[in-house]
Amino acid sequence: MKWATREHIHIDRAACAWLIRRCIDPDAAFVFVTDPADVPPDATPFDMRGVDLGHHGDDCSFETILRRHDLTDPVLWRIAEIIHEADLDDERYDAPEAPGLDAILRGLSMIGDDQHTLTITKPIFDGLYEYYHRAQMLGREPA
Amino acid sequence: MLLSYRMPREPSTPRITVWRKLKRLGVAQLGDGLVALPADARTREHLDWIADEILAAGGTAGVWLAQPTSLAQERRLAQTMAAARAAEYRAVLTEAEQARSLGEAERRRALRTLRAELRRIHRRDYFPPPERDTAQAAVDALHPDHHTEETA
Repeated sequence: MKWATREHIHIDRAACAWLIRRCIDPDAAFVFVTDPADVPPDATPFDMRGVDLGHHGDDCSFETILRRHDLTDPVLWRIAEIIHEADLDDERYDAPEAPGLDAILRGLSMIGDDQHTLTITKPIFDGLYEYYHRAQMLGREPA
Repeated sequence: MLLSYRMPREPSTPRITVWRKLKRLGVAQLGDGLVALPADARTREHLDWIADEILAAGGTAGVWLAQPTSLAQERRLAQTMAAARAAEYRAVLTEAEQARSLGEAERRRALRTLRAELRRIHRRDYFPPPERDTAQAAVDALHPDHHTEETA
């Protein structure tokens, strides 16, 4: 399937793309557009103004996708808290990881294009998932 | 970058939510329902989402890339924003100075609180005033490593 979002991706869009490939559509192809009007007709738009898979209420797009696709995995929701704080910074959650991840994503956008950011962030999010997965099983931070 | 908007008077909750978000971003208020921020990727994204939120609440909103017609006008706007941040930094400075005489545990607590407050102000500080460094130094001085040096 084809998915579309705004170019110059930052934390929320990078995390959504990872989530889509991991849980919804392993063969997802991503298109990055400048204007919402440029979204191809056969693509599902996300993290853009006026689309279903965007910000709703106080949710960022990552949280919206989790809700729309009934993804209840608590590890994904822990990651959602970090993405929310890195994106919106509204202190709804206690996520000390957020400012660091925000800086990493901003830096990545300065040295490469959106495909490059997706390539680099995939193992970062995979690693975060594994870390919080183990944390959950242990009931504490893994060593 | 400008956000022009109108929202229904009632219900007031969405209006207050939007206003809180705008304040958090450190906008300059240019008029009724007209606020400004320097244009960059982050501010643009935030204003875009807030515009959507206003539309969802039954209001009208537009995000504009605007240019002042004179340099003086632009400077005044930057000065207004810098002055607003300077006042926030001065409040942190006062609190940091008051915390200096506290016991170590309370000083550490003040250090954590004020560092978080400084981070919040930094996020909306687009034209850093000199008070930024003064406040930062006063907060850092609350750490035992600095504190002992200075009181020795």
